[in-house]
Amino acid sequence: MPTDTTPPLTAQGIVTVYRRRSGRRVALVALAALALFTTVVIDVITGPADLSFWRVARVILNPSVATTREEVIIWDLRLPVALMAVVVGAMLGAAGAEMQTILNNPLADPFTLGLSSAASFGAALAIVMGLSVIPGVGGLFVTVNAFVVSMLASLALFAFTRLRGVTPEAMILVGIAMLFTFNALLAFLQYGASELQLAQLIFWQLGSLARATWEKVGICLIVLAVVMPYFLSRSWALTALRMGENKAAALGVNVSVLRLMVLAGVSLLSAVAVSFVGAIAFVGLVGPHIARMIVGEDQRGFLPLSALAGALILSGTSIASKAITPGIVYPIGMITSLIGIPFFVSLILSQRKRHWQ
Amino acid sequence: MTFITNVSGFVPAIAATATLLAAAPDAHAEALTLTDIAGREVTLTEAPDKIILGEGRMMYSIAAISDGNPFEKVVGWKDDLILYDPDAFRKFEAEFPQDAARMINFGNPYAGDFSIEAVLEADADLVLLDVGNLFKAEETGLIEKLDKAGVPVVFIDFRRNATENTVPSLLILGRLLGEEQGALEFVDFYIAEMRKVTNVVDQIPAEERPLVVVENAAGWQNDFCCWSFGPYNYGRFVELAGGTNYASKLANAYSVDISMEGIIDADPDHIIGTGANWAEAKPEVTATLLGYEGDPAVNAEKIDALAMRPGFRDLRAVQDGNYHSIYHQFYNSPYHFIAVQQIAKWLYPDDFANLDPQDTFDRMHAKFMPYDNSGQFWLSASAPAN
Repeated sequence: MPTDTTPPLTAQGIVTVYRRRSGRRVALVALAALALFTTVVIDVITGPADLSFWRVARVILNPSVATTREEVIIWDLRLPVALMAVVVGAMLGAAGAEMQTILNNPLADPFTLGLSSAASFGAALAIVMGLSVIPGVGGLFVTVNAFVVSMLASLALFAFTRLRGVTPEAMILVGIAMLFTFNALLAFLQYGASELQLAQLIFWQLGSLARATWEKVGICLIVLAVVMPYFLSRSWALTALRMGENKAAALGVNVSVLRLMVLAGVSLLSAVAVSFVGAIAFVGLVGPHIARMIVGEDQRGFLPLSALAGALILSGTSIASKAITPGIVYPIGMITSLIGIPFFVSLILSQRKRHWQ
Repeated sequence: MTFITNVSGFVPAIAATATLLAAAPDAHAEALTLTDIAGREVTLTEAPDKIILGEGRMMYSIAAISDGNPFEKVVGWKDDLILYDPDAFRKFEAEFPQDAARMINFGNPYAGDFSIEAVLEADADLVLLDVGNLFKAEETGLIEKLDKAGVPVVFIDFRRNATENTVPSLLILGRLLGEEQGALEFVDFYIAEMRKVTNVVDQIPAEERPLVVVENAAGWQNDFCCWSFGPYNYGRFVELAGGTNYASKLANAYSVDISMEGIIDADPDHIIGTGANWAEAKPEVTATLLGYEGDPAVNAEKIDALAMRPGFRDLRAVQDGNYHSIYHQFYNSPYHFIAVQQIAKWLYPDDFANLDPQDTFDRMHAKFMPYDNSGQFWLSASAPAN
């Protein structure tokens, strides 16, 4: 713990330190939000079509001035993609943060427990076999399949952990079993896929924002609006959990219930995210780490910042994926790591220095 | 011997020589040495008559060069023709019902793998593979293992580098099937029909060539735009037909994923989507169902729906009635000159006023194919009433 030497350990001093820390936390979150706003603006003004910043701003503020071409490019193509990057990044960042918290494992991410393999398998069922898990959803059946199968996987995970005891060990082991099961099933389907089906499946798995629509952005926002307040309302309990299971229990936290409830939230976030944009690794793993290095474990700062860090990485990815070759769509799953890693590594190095000196 | 096995090309050659010497009294046995599309020298001890096709769609070529029953020397295939061009399969089935029924199905051509036991069980004496499977076949040791079992593998290509490899692939097939005459005749037809276009468009300077966006398998997936071709296959067909292929400018790759915004920004003169009867294997596709059973009324509806997709509907090409659709399987057939002719006609209606691709296709069927032409293989969307 950083023990401040300046204010004496009087009641007044402690309050000062606490206020300062809270103020710093709010400032950091605000700063990240500002950075995110900047990347979203850049995301919306860049693209193969040459539209100036002012023109884009005018079209957004007053859609009636737009030509058809501008309207399609900005309102139908760029804005949904830019916002999808933000909400999906936030969902994955928040899901990863809580997965690491409840599993007490720094290597956990939203997909640790096999949710993305399950989603990929669901998508493959649709793409290769033409099977719709829920009939009558029409063209959305790839997305719906991915969502339903990954929710089924997390339900199975629930059932197993209820039987076996809600410990991180049990959850991880059952999760790994799920991961391998779905990967094997997925491989079966891939083996039987045609050229076009395989292209579609691989593209789906690598993740893409190109399918973003306003409806999808809206659904993601609703899910985020339901799950995030719950996570935030449990932030004291989750912070306590990070001090150790026994301490949290001693402080009056029902650890099993907390784990299951948070797992439900994480499953919902990641299943929706993965079914809309494909399995994007890295964001959910590294976003929380970046946040933790900046604000520490206190969930009141950690959770919002994890979400913002995830959103920033994905928003940056969206910009980069357009910049490589204008006009070509690159799967974002290939780029997220390349965008996030330099920042991540520099954080690790700077932290080390502080610890060593 | 272990040393020699490493020098893989020699083993069959030596084996062949040995067999040839041993079998010298037999007048029928005649060794056949050729270089396939992968650049491998392959020696066959005698003309094969139990062939397995790595893709069912190789029948397009075999039928085109064969005089008589194209199934005569074929024992098995993979099921791509049945699944992805059921119209053509039914044409074959109607002409040669027993043969179509007797074909052993070796499964998915894209898996690039064969059960070696099944190949031996079929008593095959040649496996024909698409050159796209070369890497996998080397990786899995398929070539070596089949070689050991005395079943040579020959690579051909009508897709990857279609315009370059079609003639040599046809010549290889001609030699393997003993249909040299048919192959030469078809090659002659191919050259003549290709030249009808290239001789004219060669005169057109690059800056005057219209910009064309190719949408590979338009309507296969309904929430993503678009798959396209770089300077290969349909991308190359467009170039040979005198167009500038949009995706060729972006990447020198076979397959390129292009973005809707890029298309809007490029403002192409023409958009050409490919379609085939995929609806039987994949009912949710919104593609045009082109092929031998293509129904103009159905396809007219489908293509208008494709042209009216968000993003497309406001494009100049669509507004001007230059959203086209063409039979996808030309991309894996020896008669892609039909596609080149039709694309040229779309791009330069005046220059090619006298060129009639439908007539070319009909003549080709009459002269080479075991069945008659029918159905619909291309169409254009109606220009929206302004």
